Amino acid sequence: MSAARDDSGGWLRERLGWAPLTAALAAYRIPRGNIAFYLGGTTLFLLLVQVASGIMLTLYYKPDAAQAFRSVERITGEIEYGNLVHSFHVWSSDLFIACLFAHLFFVLVRRGFRAPHELSWLTGLMGLVLGVGLAFTGDILPWSQRAYTDARVGSEFAKYVPLVGTWLNRFLRGGDEVTSNTLVHAYGFHVAALPAALTLVVALHIFLLTRRSTPVPEEASRETIPLYPDFFVRQAAALTAVLVVIMTLAIFFERPLGIAADPRLSSPGGAMPPWYFLAIHQILRAAPTELLGIDGARFLVSAACLLGLLVAALPFIDRRGSKATAVLAWVLLFVLILLAASALN
Amino acid sequence: MEAMNTCASCHATLNDAKLRAPAREFGGSVHRDDRIGCVGCHNGDARDPTVGAHSKAAGFDPHPTHSQVPVICGGCHSDAGFMRRINGRLPVGQAALFNLSLHGKLSAAGDPNAPDCSGCHGKHDVLSPTSPRSPVNRANVARLCSGCHSEETRMAKYGIRTDQFAKWEKSAHGVAFKKGNPNAPTCTGCHGAHASAPPDASSVAHACGRCHEEEMAFFEQSPHSQGFRKRGLAQCVACHSNHDVAPASAILVGTTPDASCMKCHSHDEKPRKAADDIAALLRGARERAAEARAAVARARDRGQHITGAGLALDHVATAEMKVRGVVHTLDPARMEARIGEIDRAVAETLRLVADAERARLLERRGYYVALGLAGLLLLTLTLKVVQLDRRRRRGGA
Repeated sequence: MSAARDDSGGWLRERLGWAPLTAALAAYRIPRGNIAFYLGGTTLFLLLVQVASGIMLTLYYKPDAAQAFRSVERITGEIEYGNLVHSFHVWSSDLFIACLFAHLFFVLVRRGFRAPHELSWLTGLMGLVLGVGLAFTGDILPWSQRAYTDARVGSEFAKYVPLVGTWLNRFLRGGDEVTSNTLVHAYGFHVAALPAALTLVVALHIFLLTRRSTPVPEEASRETIPLYPDFFVRQAAALTAVLVVIMTLAIFFERPLGIAADPRLSSPGGAMPPWYFLAIHQILRAAPTELLGIDGARFLVSAACLLGLLVAALPFIDRRGSKATAVLAWVLLFVLILLAASALN
Repeated sequence: MEAMNTCASCHATLNDAKLRAPAREFGGSVHRDDRIGCVGCHNGDARDPTVGAHSKAAGFDPHPTHSQVPVICGGCHSDAGFMRRINGRLPVGQAALFNLSLHGKLSAAGDPNAPDCSGCHGKHDVLSPTSPRSPVNRANVARLCSGCHSEETRMAKYGIRTDQFAKWEKSAHGVAFKKGNPNAPTCTGCHGAHASAPPDASSVAHACGRCHEEEMAFFEQSPHSQGFRKRGLAQCVACHSNHDVAPASAILVGTTPDASCMKCHSHDEKPRKAADDIAALLRGARERAAEARAAVARARDRGQHITGAGLALDHVATAEMKVRGVVHTLDPARMEARIGEIDRAVAETLRLVADAERARLLERRGYYVALGLAGLLLLTLTLKVVQLDRRRRRGGA
């Protein structure tokens, strides 16, 4: 009996190709103290938490303007543990965006975008755009007054994106105005289009990671640890800590839904966009009506798009990865935090 | 009435702005939409594209007099057959009602201060009352009335006060109206529209009772009903006032200097005791209802959504409203029965809050258990990291 049990383990390992797999993972080495790798793993974990909690929420959510708010109220108030699942989903979404930003930021300051990592950098940026889209469309789904305001203001600014603005505005709204079509579009993006695209991008990002022998060029001389089991155990410890953080936030800091969307009401006083849009919200709030003969908002949104393109093209502009780029990244972070903080005051 | 309208096409091109304006204004009016031409009111011959259209033989009248206007408007609006063809949803007979009103009587007597139809609805630019731009739209009608009734020089002749609009704006009705309550009355809600007349002392309860049916019925059963009638007191107004009607609250009843009861009963021992008893009952119910609302608000501030709390508080509010009705009987026994409804709704609300709090505490306990398990896992993983580091260093050495 005992021999049969031992044999079954071996049977499974043999079929999984366990030994060659662990050998390959052990051969892949990670710089010991590189936080960017832990942030990458944490971001992926948070995405999985969102997928799991999101599936549970989908069972009760109704993507209809007349029923959406009530269905979320039902999830948070009537369905057993629904409030907890909802809180997990919302907080893990916020942490997901924060980790995504932090992951990219640390890659940027360590100049990990240099050759041969250009494609990893680009897929990472695509992941950021899709992740923010995922969070923003999720923000609209409760169809509360705040969600309605966010949908209206967010899609309004999409209009100023160069070349595709008008089309993008209509596409996001599902028409000329924010209506129930907007909610249906947001739902489609949130549960199907964006997760599918993000899965592909993440898969490509991980695939590209495995295609290179040296993870970060200038850190090749640093102490490294094997991906398996050393890095995996460290990452597991980090994920346990992250899980505790989500649990604590979900239990002690619940997110009130507010009131149901009513297009006849004016925007709630002191309405703020989601935190990841605070900096751009502050810039647009302070924008003059006209800049260089162009509409102020259009000018600034175009400038932000241009900055995004420059960041994407960084591996091709700064091929050597100069230290000035790292300094600029720190300055940019400081300015963004300052802008976000001033938006809250 | 439907006719080729050469009047507008000619008047629109005239140099004199005063003659041009009617053509422009008429372009956006409901009568234009309904294809009622200028001749519908002014007569004349609209088929003639020259000044011959102003034919006296065809009855052309450029300036109908004050007293003629209701007759002209009534020509169509009192013709049920015609109105059915034009707009079946519109009532007919406004002219007859207007003639019964004080406005109508003064207008017929040629008083230039009294409004005719055009005074409220406009002349060439008449809009449908459902249009938000129409002066008689529900949103604008109080301001329309105030246009004349707040004018001291105009009202002095009739001895009518001019503070009604200012008072109404601050009243319970005005505040509810501004908040968008579709049931809150504006001027026409109490005074009527075409047949407008001020309710007098004996009829004011009927005006209020159109909406506050239960209060009126209970008032009729109270000792006040007969007493007020004998003394010629203006029923509801005696306690609640009229244009500046305050939100109904328990402080109206009682023996405090502000209480309405003290206006008449400051020296009567028996009514004072009844007022005190009723005030105590109302105060107690109000405090318990406030406690239930505060408990739900506290839970909401904590981010808790309590299932059914909204409905339970609605029951509290409904029961409070019923008590507000029965208080007009001045019978503490009947009030107690209805206060029991408040207490049951309050108890149900507090039970829901307590259940939600128990669930929250259970969730917290679960959290601490999970936290302990996570701590253990973290400790195990940390020990494993130390073990792996040692093994790697030994391997390296």
